[in-house]
Amino acid sequence: MIDMAVFKQFQEAIRHLGEMAQPEALSDEQRLARAKAVMHDKTDRALALDLESCVNCGYCSEACHFYQSTQDPKYTPTRKLDLLRRVHMRETSAFAPLRRLYTKDITVDELREWQELVYDSCTECGRCSMACPMGINIARGVNVMREALSQAGLVPLELMAVAQEQAGRGTVFGVGPKELTGCVQALRAQGLTVPLDEAQADVMLVTTVIDVLLFQDALAATARILNHLGVKWTLRSAGFEAANFGLLSGNEALQKAASKRLVDEALAIGARTLILPECGHAYPALRWEGRLADGSPLPFEVLAASEFVGREIQAGRLQLQAGDGSAKLTYHDACKLARHGGVIDEPRAALHALGADFRESTPTAELNWCCGGGAGAFLINRAAPLRHKAWEIKREQIDATGADTVVLSCASCRLNFMEAAEIDQWPTRIASLVELVAEQLPAKP
Amino acid sequence: MDFLDWVRGPLLAVALLVFVLGVAWRLWVLWRLPASTQPQAPARQPFGTADALSASLGRMLPHRGFHPSATLVTINPYVFHIGLALVFFGYAPHIAFIQRLTGLSWPALPDMVMYLAAAATMVSLLLAIVFRLSDPVLRKISRADDHITWTLTLLPLITGMGVVGEPSSALLAHASPVYRDPLAIHLLSLELLLVWFPFGKLMHAFLVLPNRMQLARFLGRRGVRT
Repeated sequence: MIDMAVFKQFQEAIRHLGEMAQPEALSDEQRLARAKAVMHDKTDRALALDLESCVNCGYCSEACHFYQSTQDPKYTPTRKLDLLRRVHMRETSAFAPLRRLYTKDITVDELREWQELVYDSCTECGRCSMACPMGINIARGVNVMREALSQAGLVPLELMAVAQEQAGRGTVFGVGPKELTGCVQALRAQGLTVPLDEAQADVMLVTTVIDVLLFQDALAATARILNHLGVKWTLRSAGFEAANFGLLSGNEALQKAASKRLVDEALAIGARTLILPECGHAYPALRWEGRLADGSPLPFEVLAASEFVGREIQAGRLQLQAGDGSAKLTYHDACKLARHGGVIDEPRAALHALGADFRESTPTAELNWCCGGGAGAFLINRAAPLRHKAWEIKREQIDATGADTVVLSCASCRLNFMEAAEIDQWPTRIASLVELVAEQLPAKP
Repeated sequence: MDFLDWVRGPLLAVALLVFVLGVAWRLWVLWRLPASTQPQAPARQPFGTADALSASLGRMLPHRGFHPSATLVTINPYVFHIGLALVFFGYAPHIAFIQRLTGLSWPALPDMVMYLAAAATMVSLLLAIVFRLSDPVLRKISRADDHITWTLTLLPLITGMGVVGEPSSALLAHASPVYRDPLAIHLLSLELLLVWFPFGKLMHAFLVLPNRMQLARFLGRRGVRT
């Protein structure tokens, strides 16, 4: 059961998050120079091709939940790359000297204006790239813009505060090894076996601040599944936090450092598999972008919890007690898991094994609508009204399925769903995939 | 040397030179930019060049899940691109022009098909500018490039109307062009288009495939259907 008092505390903490930030004192010239340095550094062949290919057809707006819910053309996805495009055209493109004659340089005021466009109104969900006839990876460009703004000290204060905490103390929302140990002890008190800091294990399980504080049932469920499968696994207190505020805020050094903590621990115990919790952005951060210090690929596999569970079911190693089919379920594909990660079939294998009346939403899988809270947007207080507008598309999509339960495999989406449901008095049950699976584990003979 | 001789002589050579060198330079500068050499994370599924090409060609069709109805906005770009290709590559005098420059030729399409294609292309261009000027999204994201490109694309179609007074077989039967000044203006409009080509968004003709392929590779190896 979710302790709603903790949820309220969590919401309250977010409201005051910005007060914890310690912005660097920078002049406008310094901000501009830093932002442009990042833009230069990141403009490689792939990004330049993206920037030069746009034909301004506007199709990307059809795919964007922020544009669709507000009809405000300033949210058109390709426009979010305009500053990046201008810097490239003026300074690194084929006809740069000519372009400089008639293309205005970017200004620090524009950088400030763009903060809303690349943080508040973009979850880097990537749906726009699916609609783009030129195949432009707009989300990648937005992430580069976030890096530029981060270096310019123009990150929303909430994200700045958490990124500074993760970079400085190694904790997120005050959750460190001590809090993890407390959580593990609480789960053990329920009779659950939860290995912590084992010196050697085949599987390293990673969790996240949200699970430690709020969704302990999701962590418990994953532990139950691993125990049921007889896997030799462990949590590691020196590297347990999957949330990566380097990625979310645009701080590449922090992104690498946060990933390194997990990688080092997995290597130390000789893990062959690292399982990430139900956390969307953690998946691309480690599975697709995680590297060893020398840049080589990780020597162990990285799986999302929903991917692991689905894969075990597909392989026949995990059987569930089938339900009676009365529960009407639908599934929300977290953007970072599905559209950016390819985790699409495995969660569905798990959902089908539950023996419920499973109903796909329309659209679904790679084209699913974002819930509006991803990529750190959930933490940005001023973005709450905009986020809720975008959520309305999601709500209509879920309602159209007639399902009484929406299943999620991303804690960040889950928080956003819970907050929106609270505002709308939305009656649909919001459930975690691993929790549903754990509830239907057969008894051991 | 009259106006036509100038236009289809030195001016055409200059326009072709600007076009070829400009396109080559733009592609070369793009290619010269650094590309990631880091080994990538293991792919979820094998995804090679043929898969990327196939996914890129598949993107020519309206994506499932978007464009829920056959709206004018969805159809119009198809009408324009197909119409323009038919007119440029299918009209007998155009083939003769290309043959004179390159030695290559192919069978022409009937004049009536060309007239219909040209009309459809012009109507689609007019619709495109109506959309661009009236749609809030397109108004917000439009740049000078969009309007220059639109104008320079329409001009050859309009000026071409001045030289289709006779069936193409009759036009080609003349020993020398009969509508010298209208033909010069038509060619000049084409040359303007060629000169502008490398500088603006017309370059998408060369960039579309590599860009779609890089996205297809990025997503495809992750197991995401594009």
